[in-house]
Amino acid sequence: MRTFVRHNGLSIAFLGLFLGALILQAVAGHADFNEGQDQHGEEHISFLRYVTSSDFATAVMENWQSEYLQFTLFILLTVWLVQRGSPESKEVGKAGLESDQDQKVGAHAVDASPRWAKLTGFRRRVYENSLLLVMVAIWIASWFAQSITGVTEYNAERLDHQQTTVSWAAYLTRPDFWEKTLQNWQSEFLAVGSMAILAVYLRQRGSPESKPVGAAHHATGPNS
Amino acid sequence: MRTRGIVLLACAVLVGCGASDRAPDAAAVAERFHEAIGSQDGAAACGELAEETASKLEQQEGRPCEEAILDLEIPGEGRSVETNVYVITASVSLAAGGKTFLDEFDDGWKVSAAGCVPSAPDAPYDCELEG
Repeated sequence: MRTFVRHNGLSIAFLGLFLGALILQAVAGHADFNEGQDQHGEEHISFLRYVTSSDFATAVMENWQSEYLQFTLFILLTVWLVQRGSPESKEVGKAGLESDQDQKVGAHAVDASPRWAKLTGFRRRVYENSLLLVMVAIWIASWFAQSITGVTEYNAERLDHQQTTVSWAAYLTRPDFWEKTLQNWQSEFLAVGSMAILAVYLRQRGSPESKPVGAAHHATGPNS
Repeated sequence: MRTRGIVLLACAVLVGCGASDRAPDAAAVAERFHEAIGSQDGAAACGELAEETASKLEQQEGRPCEEAILDLEIPGEGRSVETNVYVITASVSLAAGGKTFLDEFDDGWKVSAAGCVPSAPDAPYDCELEG
């Protein structure tokens, strides 16, 4: 057990942080929703009702979709684009899919390589892109979920003001959907971009996200 | 049609939906409200109103709700043709024309606005009675 925790501490820590933050978000969101109810002279709803509501679901999904888009683009763009001096980037000159030998696939796979890395054909192509494919799938699914829960929340607000409701397709053209989407995208792209460039000049001793403290600014790549 | 199918399928597995089973309840309240108006039963009609809507009516008219409500131009026939429910709000379109808006409380659906007709596109409905 202790070995499991020691070997998986990073995942366990972030799982705990995620669950804690999600619970606190639900508590704060419930209180905020009921404040809005007071302003409209309407009754408070229970915590259970709130966490099963479209209001909470939209708040969660709009953040999830932007996080997974961030990773999708980061994974994809770092294949083809480099940042000189950044540990987040490949070395200058290594842009692209790299050789089979570098990637240890097919005939160049080793005994410990994953099974599908040793294959040729469609299965290896799928495995070669599996990280991106899963990130894209989660991004698309959570963005779709944001749109579904968002149109429910949007229409509830419209009915509260005696306005007509809109269809899901019409909601996708509404500023509400895009404002929720883009406010999250801009922060994600800023975060990744900041990390890529700040890590050129700044250091954090002991973190794999940083170059060694004494590494040169122009040293590029994960092994710089 | 295909878009509606996709949305309904997604709603079947996502939170924030589940409105279809509450629509009949909202429609029933709207129908009772309008039939009470048609029967000139002000007390029954006011019994279907949200507290804030009834209070606002009494303040504006300076009379008890059950008297004031019968002087408003609200349809007296409550047959509904379409009901939309989103979270704890609903709208009921009447066969006689116009819409009735409702909010859900602990003790069920209550009419929050009635005698509503469309005004400018995307603008709020003009309502004879609203909270």
